[in-house]
Amino acid sequence: MTLLSAAWLVLRKDLQIELRTGEVVVTTALFATLVAVLTSLSFYVDDQSARLVAPGVLWIAVAFAGVLAMSRSWSRERENDAFRALLLAPIPRAAIYIGKTLGTLTFLAIVECALVLEVAVLFNLDLRGIAGALAGLLALGTVGFAATGNLFAAMGVRTGARDLVLAVALFPVIAPALLCGVVATRELIGGAPMHEIWAWVRILAAFDVAFVTAGMFLFEPLVCD
Amino acid sequence: MVLAFDRVDGRGLVKVYGATRALSGVDVSFSAGQVTCIEGPNGSGKSTLLSLLGLLARPTRGQILFGTHDAARTKGLRASVGVLAHASMVYPDLTAHESLALAAKLYGLRDASARIAELVERFGLGAWAGRPARTYSRGQLQRLSLARALVHEPKLLLLDEPSTGLDAGSVERLIGAVRTERARGAIIVLVTHDPALAEKLADQRIELAQGRLAPASGTPDRLATASVPRSGSAAPGGAS
Repeated sequence: MTLLSAAWLVLRKDLQIELRTGEVVVTTALFATLVAVLTSLSFYVDDQSARLVAPGVLWIAVAFAGVLAMSRSWSRERENDAFRALLLAPIPRAAIYIGKTLGTLTFLAIVECALVLEVAVLFNLDLRGIAGALAGLLALGTVGFAATGNLFAAMGVRTGARDLVLAVALFPVIAPALLCGVVATRELIGGAPMHEIWAWVRILAAFDVAFVTAGMFLFEPLVCD
Repeated sequence: MVLAFDRVDGRGLVKVYGATRALSGVDVSFSAGQVTCIEGPNGSGKSTLLSLLGLLARPTRGQILFGTHDAARTKGLRASVGVLAHASMVYPDLTAHESLALAAKLYGLRDASARIAELVERFGLGAWAGRPARTYSRGQLQRLSLARALVHEPKLLLLDEPSTGLDAGSVERLIGAVRTERARGAIIVLVTHDPALAEKLADQRIELAQGRLAPASGTPDRLATASVPRSGSAAPGGAS
């Protein structure tokens, strides 16, 4: 079985469970909404300050919601030791990692669609002219975040530390990518020219390539033995 | 591609986790059509040995051979291994049908529908196969788990405390299923703390203590001659 067809099986299984339970998307979306609402009440002063604060709110909500989504997604693997059945199957183990990461990306993409609209309303931002660029930035940041997060979450399945590994160890590693995401989004919403934003996009893309590649190579040694 | 073999050998198996030496030079041998029961106290290395045989971990030293195939160098051996453990290894939010379909696809079965229908019939899953596994009793979960472990007709079947928490009827069904697999020619390795289960199923018994074969278990040569008589013939129909 090829890497991609096995990854598709893992992804389809996650989507099948999520369609039945709605657990990850619903809890994650509610949490992200709560973050957006509370921060808007606290930080919104005027439209100018909103343009500076909103990118931070957006990425904080994505980051925290992402941790919640990955934690819940991997706790399903722990229940009944179901993850062991995936490890026993004659598929490339990197396919499990890719499938789980694509699942997280799908869940977070749905949450981010709602979140961007909420942030736009709560902070009174007109995002119509930059919607495509903003979607691209969020996609780039989310790929790196999900790629790294799923690696840490998988480690948690085999250790007693579990959620602690995800919450404590993930953010120092992902911090540079998150910073790039926040700054690039701030520049974009602030009306900076695209050539200035491209520098951040390139860094984010480099992080993505590094995180995904490292994840594919490190996944098997980390989850086996 | 499923590779052919009729015995599995572990030679000089050592497994070290950090400062813990889980196995210290274990030699074991398992043959087709035989149930080998591994016994020993907690922490004696039984589960570690099963992890190595199930290709979930690699030995720190030593070699595992599936027939003539070195497990460290041969791809595709995982397709020949089935595992049934105390934990069911199925997703609570998938139905029995969905769990078996997922397993069949992961193992690349071509005629998955026919095989799933056969297993549903054999293990009596039909009445509740459309419900999520979260709603199953322990006995029902174990039947589904056994069906999942056998979906690809594994040549090597590893059973890790499979009777834990089962009532007498479920244990009898399990025994029937294991005897059917033995009659099919599977190599079966059973780890259990249940002496009655071992007595009923074991053709060969091995005892581990502190990561080593206990003296009574002896060397592979002695193991081959240390079989206990089978306590009954294969039950037709397995777990039905």
